[in-house]
Formats: sequence, C-alpha cells, structure tokens
Amino acid sequence: MSEGEFQGHESLIAQLRAGTLDGPDHLHRRVLALGPGKRARVPMTRGRKLFVLVAVAGTLSVAAAVVNGAFNSGTNPGGRAAAVDSNRVRNQPASGVTGPEGPTGATGATGVNGATGAKGPTGGVTGAEGPTVYNGSDLQAADAQKSAAHSDKRLGFSTADSVKIQTHRLVHAVASLEVAVPSHGALTRATNKATEIVTQLGGYAQSVNYDASRTGPGQAILDIRVPIGKAETAIAMLGGLGRLISQTVTTKDLQLKSTKQISQAGQLRRAIAIYEQALQSGTLSGTQRVEVQIRLAEAQHELAGTKKAHHRTLASGRTADIKLTLTSSRNHAVVAGPHKRGRLGRLLHNAAGFLALEAIIVLYILIVAVPILLLVALLWWFTSGRRRRDERRLLAST
Amino acid sequence: MKPVNAMPAAIAVSRPGRAQPFADVVAENLDAVYRYLVYLTGDRVAAEDLAAETFEKAYRGWRRFDPQRGAPRTWLCRIAHSVAVDWFRAEARRQRREDNYMRDAAMLEDSVFGDGFSPELDQALHRLTPAEREVVALRVLLELDGPSAARVLGISQTACSTRLSRALQRLEEEVGDVRR
Repeated sequence: MSEGEFQGHESLIAQLRAGTLDGPDHLHRRVLALGPGKRARVPMTRGRKLFVLVAVAGTLSVAAAVVNGAFNSGTNPGGRAAAVDSNRVRNQPASGVTGPEGPTGATGATGVNGATGAKGPTGGVTGAEGPTVYNGSDLQAADAQKSAAHSDKRLGFSTADSVKIQTHRLVHAVASLEVAVPSHGALTRATNKATEIVTQLGGYAQSVNYDASRTGPGQAILDIRVPIGKAETAIAMLGGLGRLISQTVTTKDLQLKSTKQISQAGQLRRAIAIYEQALQSGTLSGTQRVEVQIRLAEAQHELAGTKKAHHRTLASGRTADIKLTLTSSRNHAVVAGPHKRGRLGRLLHNAAGFLALEAIIVLYILIVAVPILLLVALLWWFTSGRRRRDERRLLAST
Repeated sequence: MKPVNAMPAAIAVSRPGRAQPFADVVAENLDAVYRYLVYLTGDRVAAEDLAAETFEKAYRGWRRFDPQRGAPRTWLCRIAHSVAVDWFRAEARRQRREDNYMRDAAMLEDSVFGDGFSPELDQALHRLTPAEREVVALRVLLELDGPSAARVLGISQTACSTRLSRALQRLEEEVGDVRR
C-alpha cells in the first residue's frame, strides 16, 4: 500500500482508523445462519474453461473425422472411379468400339477354317506367311488370353473394366487415349511409365513427343504399337496413368481381306504351276511358248505383290496402334489414382477431407457469427459504460 | 467491539487453490464489509441489510469464487458495491417521492461512521459524497491496496488514487469548516 497517498493527512487517517465500527451481533448471526458453504473444488478460470472447450471440440472433430474415414474406407473407391470412367468412355459421343459387328464389320463370310482351307490343295501357302496366328483360333486365343492375364497379374492390374478387343479374328485396332495428370512432374513420370508398360507388354513406342514448359500446360504424345493380344491391357493400363479424359477404340476386321489375299495367292500359284508345266511339256509352238512365258512372268509378279500385301495385312493385324496423349493442363485437375491407396491411406484421406469440411463449416459459422458477436459486444460495452456513468453520478451526489 | 485498526491486514491474502469454509470468510470479512457499506451509504441500518444481502449473494456464488483472481475481501467488496448501488438507485427513487429531512437530522445526532469519532469528523464524513466515502473506506479502513480498490470501484488505479486524494483533501476541509 502506498503510504505516499496519505501524506499530509496522517492525523486524519489516525482518527479514522481509531474509530470502532463492527457489525452488530445479530448481523453476524444472520449471516452465519446462511450455512457452512464449503467449496468442493477450485473453479476453473475462464482461460482454462476456453482451453478445455476448444480441446474437447478439437478432439470430437478429429474423432468424427477418423470415424468417417474408417466408415468410408471399407470400399475401394478405385473400383467406383473405374466404373465412372468406364461409363464416361461409353458416353463419349466421339468414342466407341467399332467391332466386327459394327459398320466396318466383315464377319464370318470367310471364317478361320476358310483361311486354313486355302492352303490345302496346293500346299503352297506356307505357314510362315499364312494366317497362322488365327489357325486353331480357340487354342491360340486361349494362349493369348492366358499370356495377357499373366502380364496383368505381373503388373498388378486388372483388365476387367477395359474395352474388349477380339483376339480370335484378325483385326486391326486403333486406339486414342487422352489422359490428364496433375503436374509436370507427373507428366514426366507418366510418360516414362507408359514406355515401360508398353515394353513390358512386348510393344514399343514408335514416337514420343514430350513438350512441357515451366509455367504453361504440358503435353506428351506417344505413338505406341503393342501386340493385339495385349491391346486391352495396354489401353486399360495407359488409361490408369492419370484421369482418363477421352478414349476412342476402333477395330477393323482384316479376316476377309486376308482370306481373299490367300485365295488370290493360291490361284496365282496354281496358274504359275500350270504355266510351268505347259512350258516343260514341249508341246507348245514358238508363238504359244512366248505367250505362256509372258503370262508366267505376269503371274509371278502378281503373286509377289499379293504376298507383300498379305504380309502387310498380317502385320497390321498383329499389332494395335495406340495414340496416347498425356496432358498436364490446368483445366484438368487430377487426383492421383485412388486404386494405389491402401485402406489406411483411404482412411487418412477421408479423415483429412472430413476435417477440411468441418473447418469450412466452422469458418462459415464464424463468418456469420462474428458480426453478431461484435454487435453484442458493442451493445454490452455501450450498456456497461452507460451503467457505470449512471453509477458514478449516483454516488457523486451527496 | 474491536477497534478498526485491529483488523488483521493478512485478511486480504487468500489461500489460492484451497477450499476455505465460507464461515471463515464471513468471520474474517463481515465487519470490514459492514464498515465499508456504512461509509458508502452513511446509514448503519441500511448497511446491515446490505451486508446481509451481500453475504447472501456471496454464499450463492461461493462455488464460483476463484481465489486466483483476487482476495475474498475484494470479491466481497465488489458484491457489496453492486448491492449498494442498487440500494442507492432505490433510495434515489424513494427520496424523490418523500421528504427525508427528519431522518437525516436524526442521523446527524448519532455517530454513524465510527464509535469514538469526534462529531466534527462524523459530520464531515457525512458531507462527503458516497463515492468519496467509499474510496476512503476501501483504502484507509479496509486497507485494500490500490489495484484491489480500483477493481472494486470499477475504475483505473490512477483514477482511484486521484479520488482518494481529493476525498481526503475534502474531508480535511470539511472538518475545518465544521470546527469553525
């Protein structure tokens, strides 16, 4: 206590303190009759109460987020995403699978047996150049499927949701995929991964055009060739490198064309054999001999052309052309493939999402509540100040 | 009856964090609160009622009392201040309606503020405003320190110090006037 404040008034202070003024006994009795009033515990301060409140609210929020994450992490969102992507692909106006039954289909008039039958009488169509891939189609198709399944298993990927391409007929498949990735780094990784996938499937990247600047959008265009038996797997895996924006798969049946070429080659061989036999017989006149020799040369030339064309047809039917466009455009906000996340990862991801949602709700509440609270505080401050002024005026009057 | 200066100064020191029986608090502070209310109201009868009301309120709020935020005496004085202000409001309304000259005259005959006071001092105290008597009571009689008294009055420490200085100065002047 500052005695300096009493300086100069010592006598007055002494007089004031010398007086006696205690509460009367009946007041003591009256007040003591109120009761013992023992305090059970020390109450919490406002700061501690606020801290406890915030801690409890925080704990409840985190617990709710974890429960939500655990509840929603049971199912694989990758499956759902794949289904959604699959639907999207089906609904693409420009996309679609043009199968043998479609506009370009040339089904079955000439079957697989027809192809094998062509080489029968002459034995001239060799197995090497004939449609050997499709001979005994069931067995070889089964082998191809088995091989593809093995590759899928090895690469940890399922083709269950991918587009089906016939492997029991000679078909040419052309696919075009546009896949968005989140960043330039992801674009580089996806490009490398695409090359790796194609190599593992027995194919190759015919050309790779990678274009990415530091600030702008990036793009990588890959022209890919894969064995037709692995085309489905390749399409599915390449589509899984990011978010599938669009997908076009076109198949063209080459079976009829191949069969025709084989048949034509057979006819030419037979004609050549007849011409050669005639020349060797020695029964032809000089003029006839010259004429047959000319026809033989023409047939041989035509046969060579037919064989080349057949080779090209077979080559076209053995591989699928895939054009993969990877983009890291800002327009395509991409989330990493959810199928790569484990249950714990999904749980944490869902919990984080839920927490973010809670934070947004709290933020909205604060945005709404803060002006109201400020108004209430202002009102309280005004009322309190007014009350204090009244009180001062009241106590200042004699 | 104990003399005013015989009140234990250590009464202002609470025992933070420990459960203190309310009866002990009453025993330690009832006289001080009563004295404060007498100074504030200038009326012993009213001070008795107000002291009882103060302790009744304190008893109801005893579980909420936080010893870390102040001594029991300061807390009780704040309650008493609030109760007294309500009384002043009611009294002001009542005084507007009736003339209380006779009552004031009767009060001046007896010593209100302390037994053993000279009539001049008692009269001079009566001439002070309640606000002036209040600060004198808190700082001189109850020996509250500056911050505690300021908290009870709801004003800053500087304002409290100024008010005390003016009150003492005026009391000196009033005592001189009465003697003359």
